[in-house]
Amino acid sequence: MTARRQLLRLAALVLFLAVWEATFRLGLLSPIVFGSPSLIANAAAKDGWDFLLAFRVTVFEIAMAILIAWSLGIAFGVVAGSLPVLARISAPVLSALIAVPLVVLYPVLIAWLGLGPASKIVFGVVSGIFPIALNTMVGVQGIDRGYATMAAAMGASRRQIMFQVMAPLAIPAIISGLRLGTALIVIGVVLSEMLGSTDGIGFWISYHRALFNTGQVYLGILLALLVAGLANAALSLVERLYGRRTVDQSVP
Amino acid sequence: MAGAGGSGEIIAVEGVGKTYGSGEQALTALIDVSFAVREGQFITLVGPSGCGKSTLLQILAGLVPASTGRVLIDGLQVTGPSPGKVGVMFQDAWLLPWKTAVENVEFPLALRRVAAAERRKRALPLLDLVGLSSFAHRYPDELSGGMRQRVAIARCLVQEPRVLLMDEPFAALDEQTRTRMGSELLQIWETSGGTVVFVTHGLTEAIYLADTVFVMGTRPGRIIARITVPLPRPRTIDMIGSEAFGRLRNEIWHLIAEVRA
Repeated sequence: MTARRQLLRLAALVLFLAVWEATFRLGLLSPIVFGSPSLIANAAAKDGWDFLLAFRVTVFEIAMAILIAWSLGIAFGVVAGSLPVLARISAPVLSALIAVPLVVLYPVLIAWLGLGPASKIVFGVVSGIFPIALNTMVGVQGIDRGYATMAAAMGASRRQIMFQVMAPLAIPAIISGLRLGTALIVIGVVLSEMLGSTDGIGFWISYHRALFNTGQVYLGILLALLVAGLANAALSLVERLYGRRTVDQSVP
Repeated sequence: MAGAGGSGEIIAVEGVGKTYGSGEQALTALIDVSFAVREGQFITLVGPSGCGKSTLLQILAGLVPASTGRVLIDGLQVTGPSPGKVGVMFQDAWLLPWKTAVENVEFPLALRRVAAAERRKRALPLLDLVGLSSFAHRYPDELSGGMRQRVAIARCLVQEPRVLLMDEPFAALDEQTRTRMGSELLQIWETSGGTVVFVTHGLTEAIYLADTVFVMGTRPGRIIARITVPLPRPRTIDMIGSEAFGRLRNEIWHLIAEVRA
């Protein structure tokens, strides 16, 4: 059954590529706006190695940004969600920061951190951390205080209550924050590479677009999609590991 | 419930009061509550809603500070939770949904960084005691309300407390389950011999379980009577239908009704 479905998918893909290539060859698609499968293949043959190196750079930057934004965002959200005063102050600030077009910060980041990976990583973190922190905070706030009281009665410290009771209970909310945040991190990193850098998938897309190398541009786009897919896979892994049985079952 | 058998005072409540807020909006939840509990006794606190019985229990548990007076448990003033000495149960079991029954029982030990093998060794016999050994590896959402409260009882007992504080632990259960849980709790208590303070608003439950019933009144919350239950131990369900039981029940009923009027 699944084998048949995969075969169908493959067939659909092949058909799509064939139609694309055919319309391109018939001159129905502008070669500058739309690439074609053969153009992409040529680009891969010619500049594949450069793109692979760039892919590695981008993956590294995104991985670092994810690591930092996830851990800081979750930690802040858990603490803020447990402390009403901090939560009251943070909620409007975080909401505002999510709404602001943070891309205006990017020139400043380049001035501070240069054109290398550091400015991309920081911009990725800044792009994704706020929804993660906000979702985590709101999630923790929504958990019945009864759990905290129960744990306190057993002698749990504040820290134990936050990270061994409240944070795991808030996992569904945290994961929805991670979904949003991680997508923004990927966008942030690729975008910052396009805006100003010397390496990475975004840089090569930008570079070849300026030279009208449509095949290379499309190759870059495909690799950027692959990066997003990898980030999503990491997220699914987290979900599978921690998403189990976190439904609030408090009411008998 | 370690340390069985003694007949000294284990709990001393001295002039405890609780006021929320201040100035004109101040709300007095409890006023001048004093009593003592001997080790090994089963005490119930009964009264209408708003009589401060849950507040009193939380003060005993060290979860809420008293505004006036003090509480001594085993001679030491209560300033916060004392997990090694006092176990607390609530109306809800608050089991952690991602942990199995036995892992939930182990949780208080895990907080104290007891080694995993040791935790398991102590938790399993207690699950057996509450009749859940075949459910040890089930998750809370696979257990009934009564089973969850049994897990909560085992989770209290694993801390080997000398005092068990129970805040309407069976109130959310259906009546049959509630009665059966009461009997099982008595059996556990009779074999392990700790001290229990049990808050309830059910008169039958209060009498059936207790050596001494403290009757509480409202506005402000206070103790209005202290009634010794003359029924022999072990208690049986049949006693609930007896004449002596009915008389006690009426007596307490009138006490509460008079204060309300």
